[in-house]
Amino acid sequence: MIFPYAVPVLSLSLMAVLTLPARAEMAPLEDEALSKVAGQGGIYLSGDISINEMGGPVENAYFGRCDETDKKCGARFAYRLKEDGGWMVLDEIRGLFAFEGLTLRVRKIDSGFGGDGELFDRDVIELGLPDTVRFTDVHFKVAASSTARPTDPGFIQTDIFAVQMQGDVIMQGNLLVFPDGNP
Amino acid sequence: MSGRRLSCKAGFGSAFAGVFLVLVAITPASALAELERLAESEMSEIDGAGIGLVFDNFTFSHGTDRPDAEGNQARIFRISGIKSTDGREVDITVNHLYIAGANSNYGENLTPVNLGRLVNPWRIDIVDGNGIGVPDKAVLELAAPSKIPGAEGFDCMGASAAAGSGQCSSRPATADWIGERADIGMQMNVAVGDDRSANLNIHARSAVIDGSYLRLWGDDQRSQMAGQFKLNFYSPEVSINACTQDGTACGSRITMSDFALELAIGNSLQPVFFDVDGGGNFILEVETIRSPGAGQIAANGLRAGSNAQTWDFYQDYYSNPEYRSNLQIGNFSVGDRDFGAARVEGMLIQHLQIQTKDLAP
Repeated sequence: MIFPYAVPVLSLSLMAVLTLPARAEMAPLEDEALSKVAGQGGIYLSGDISINEMGGPVENAYFGRCDETDKKCGARFAYRLKEDGGWMVLDEIRGLFAFEGLTLRVRKIDSGFGGDGELFDRDVIELGLPDTVRFTDVHFKVAASSTARPTDPGFIQTDIFAVQMQGDVIMQGNLLVFPDGNP
Repeated sequence: MSGRRLSCKAGFGSAFAGVFLVLVAITPASALAELERLAESEMSEIDGAGIGLVFDNFTFSHGTDRPDAEGNQARIFRISGIKSTDGREVDITVNHLYIAGANSNYGENLTPVNLGRLVNPWRIDIVDGNGIGVPDKAVLELAAPSKIPGAEGFDCMGASAAAGSGQCSSRPATADWIGERADIGMQMNVAVGDDRSANLNIHARSAVIDGSYLRLWGDDQRSQMAGQFKLNFYSPEVSINACTQDGTACGSRITMSDFALELAIGNSLQPVFFDVDGGGNFILEVETIRSPGAGQIAANGLRAGSNAQTWDFYQDYYSNPEYRSNLQIGNFSVGDRDFGAARVEGMLIQHLQIQTKDLAP
């Protein structure tokens, strides 16, 4: 085989290094043996997510830093439910979420669940919920608005209610996710 | 299959050719043995499925507005932004919100519960509208476990129901199994300005919401999001009482035993529409039924003499139990006084429009 580029020396030497130990260790697996191989392990996640703690990236007549009292500093998410209609808005989204020990793995279920496990007999994705999720000054507002952006002409907004969350939420258990239902 | 493809790439002579060759040397034995061609007929049998969700050993608990025994920071879930007519701020503070296993003793003793069964889970799915009365639409459906035939199901109320006693799929807790029916509850209070009310406690024991769903799709004629919402809520006991802020004294408990709510907002003939108007006000609307087309109903109202198609259309609309909402309470009691049973059955929403209005000056 001819390698027309300048680098092949490297790849050839890599090949030499890699193949020797690899050949010695590896042997083809029979179908039967292969069918018994299952993935192991999973993912363990800890997170600390902050949304617009000091303010967002947009600075204009409406949005600004959180220390500017006449400006809004939270994130804004607007969606429309009708062509040429008004906008539903989640406004002034701010806060900190922290969690530790969110796990993700594949689990085979073939027993338990009050007898359902045996009938089910399949793999599921298991999302292990963190025991506690810490909310620090999480705010958001539900509102309805005439335009998508507060800087658009003719902007009118009605704030429906605001939600504030603080403290530890206990959330224990596993969320099992698997394919089901109609095509 | 993959082995062959990889060897072709090696022929291009890139810098990684060597690595590819090694891979080729190692993989074919196992890869070729595993992969097989699918015939056209087999391919056509494969289709996408929705997502099933089951909460396993689940407990959820949020908040109290007092520091706990170890002096940790207060926990709050607060809804605000509402003003009273005299301009004072109104806030609704939820002190405690829980979802836990049966026999929690009104949220005092939180144990895990399962929500959804592996054989009948919660579902997120795109369903074919033709099967559910929304012709030629793909419908997004979020659904709780469906109801099942009475031969296999469990009584929706009975906290000790056995198989074959009802239509609910979720099972009550037994000595061997935590069950799929949750105790749900919340404690909240309302403050208007500086006046804070007593704590209001709402608890539902062994609650089931089987057969509930939310369906969403787009309506072409109105270029708008349309939906259909069904909430089934069954509990052997729903109770409400009020306690002082420090929890030392409580009023009489209002108890509703064998509580069943079957609420239908929107149906396939009258979807519910959501919108925001030009003034920034939210509008929820259940449209009046669309006329089925030309066709007269006879003066005596009988099918004979009427246009059969039109008559059948209205007959279905007025008799289909799926379109109607029901509320049944087995026994209503306050403290030790019983008020007996209450039933509101067969409510049909023919037209509904709810619009928010900003009263701020």
